[in-house]
Amino acid sequence: MVKSRIGALFFMIFSAFYFYKSFDIHLLKGNYYEVMTAQTFPHYLGILGMLVSFLIFVFSFLKIDKDDFLDIEKLKKYDFKKGIYLVLSMIFYGYTIRSLGFVISTIFFLILGFKILEEKSWKIILLTSFGISILFWLLLTQLLGIYVENGIIFDYFLGVQS
Amino acid sequence: MMDGIWLGVTTALSGYNIFMVAIGAFAGTFIGMLPGLGPISAIALMIPVTYGMDPSSALILIAGVYYGAIFGGSTSSILINAPGVAGTVATAFDGYPMAVQGHAGKALAIAAYASFSGGTIAAIFLLIAAPALAKVSLSFQSSDYFALMVLGLTAVAAFAGKGKFLKAAIMTIFGLMLATVGTDADSGVSRYTFGDMNLIDGISFLLLAMASFALSEALMNIIENKKITKEEKEALKKEIGSLKVSKEEVKQIVPVIGRSSVLGFFVGVLPGAGATIASFLAYGMERSIANAKEKLKFGKGSIRGLAAPESANNAACSGSFVPLLTLGIPGSGTTAVILGALISYGIQPGPTLYTEQPALFWSVIISMYIGNIILLILNLPLIPYIAKLLETPKQILLPLVMFFSLIGVYLVTFNTFDIYMMVLFSIVAVFLRIIDYPMAPMILGFILGGMMENNLRRALTISDGSLSFLWERPMTASILAVTIIMLAWPLISQLFFGRMVASEDK
Repeated sequence: MVKSRIGALFFMIFSAFYFYKSFDIHLLKGNYYEVMTAQTFPHYLGILGMLVSFLIFVFSFLKIDKDDFLDIEKLKKYDFKKGIYLVLSMIFYGYTIRSLGFVISTIFFLILGFKILEEKSWKIILLTSFGISILFWLLLTQLLGIYVENGIIFDYFLGVQS
Repeated sequence: MMDGIWLGVTTALSGYNIFMVAIGAFAGTFIGMLPGLGPISAIALMIPVTYGMDPSSALILIAGVYYGAIFGGSTSSILINAPGVAGTVATAFDGYPMAVQGHAGKALAIAAYASFSGGTIAAIFLLIAAPALAKVSLSFQSSDYFALMVLGLTAVAAFAGKGKFLKAAIMTIFGLMLATVGTDADSGVSRYTFGDMNLIDGISFLLLAMASFALSEALMNIIENKKITKEEKEALKKEIGSLKVSKEEVKQIVPVIGRSSVLGFFVGVLPGAGATIASFLAYGMERSIANAKEKLKFGKGSIRGLAAPESANNAACSGSFVPLLTLGIPGSGTTAVILGALISYGIQPGPTLYTEQPALFWSVIISMYIGNIILLILNLPLIPYIAKLLETPKQILLPLVMFFSLIGVYLVTFNTFDIYMMVLFSIVAVFLRIIDYPMAPMILGFILGGMMENNLRRALTISDGSLSFLWERPMTASILAVTIIMLAWPLISQLFFGRMVASEDK
């Protein structure tokens, strides 16, 4: 597999979709008489994107550099499992930050991250996750005066309506 | 004028004001290091502190915060590849590879020297030519701005390795496409939002930069699972905090700093252009004029590639004070916040400011210079300690980088949708990194996209749909000519100086 060809196909599909969707941009009545409407720039960008990705695709057949071949052996060595777990932990963080609140969800996220990356010492894990979460919360709320939500659960127990 | 300058010197050099600029520089550096908190947030946070102060002291404090935040932003760009501010994106291109190679201390020191020199050169320019330059900046029209954006895009060539120009071009187009998401600034029509209210404001720069640089870098690090041997670790430890810059390296970066500072200052003077375009242009220019051997080092830890954007963005910051102080026009988001602060102190910036309030006008300019000196004094001793951050074990550092990137973006909008969008973009970025498509041109296209479309629309409307605006105004035509020369330079140099370049490479 040639890397630039994979990218060219990806961008060709993306540009075609982008170009197709540019017709869905709703124009107001007066806009039709304008020299350049909200559709104009996306139209040309879509065409340009398709053109350039087509050129990359064609050139990928004419001249192939050694580096342009996808190294399957190297890919096999990649630890995608850890990457997927971390992506899931980020989604979990996004999902819980409002309900559990900044401090608790951050502690959970950091513990998950450290464990996924195989940190063995629980002392380091707990000290760092608790320390960073609480210190950063204090810095934001007490020193910089930036509002950070308590979390729906905290609000419920504190009787705050959110 | 000399009386005014002298008055400014005495005001800025008072013990209280020096203390203010030091506090500002320190606080700014600290806040700027946190992803998501750039100069705008840093200044906005400081404004309440300045109420009740003498306006000169307040503005001096704010100028210190501004410089500090820019330098702080460079620090996170260099150490963890997390450019929290658009102006420091280009710093990460060569700063981060240097840090990875174990030269974090040197990279931070070069950034500090370059920022200092850029700021100093710009402060001198400001001193000499501020009122005159204001008039020039006003003569810029939308067609000139459009040409300037096109010139900015030529920096894309700088990120394209041999035979990779098309890859860089498609990434720029991808960035331009992403910039069109959200409400169209001119007509108010929503584009590519798919009926989702979360996309109505478009994609934020910070989100895209953090996802495509910091998050994807952290994910790539984890996926690649590179094992570092004990010997390599020891070697890295030895160099990491060292600030040593050899005589030869100094010789290399001095002309770079000179050129980039002048370019940065003039780009900074133009309202709307600012530090981002200045840093990209300086990076692109340096790469264009470098010899073939040096060119290969760009993007892999070139000291020239680090010094150029660093001096340009600091010089542009000083330049952006020209339209603010002399015309009352804020050229960037940051100077808009400063304008708000000035008005709240009861000062109306404009052409009469430097005649009516010379102490304030000149003391701010002088304090910029003092701010640069203080920033250097404050930061140099701290660099070895800041650089040690990289000695943190990977399994601790990477989750922290991810946390700071996510929270930096979340704290701006408090919208969890942004976290999910970041995750999505980081996955796309990892895929594109694996297939060797460069990220930097995408960010460049994204930053310039909105401004480019607006100025093109204005220019076309003025010329009634005709493309003649491209060559009718001498300024537009000149900038476009420079663009063409920059794009064709590799070809020209090969045709005319082929032999010279070849011998240089030997």
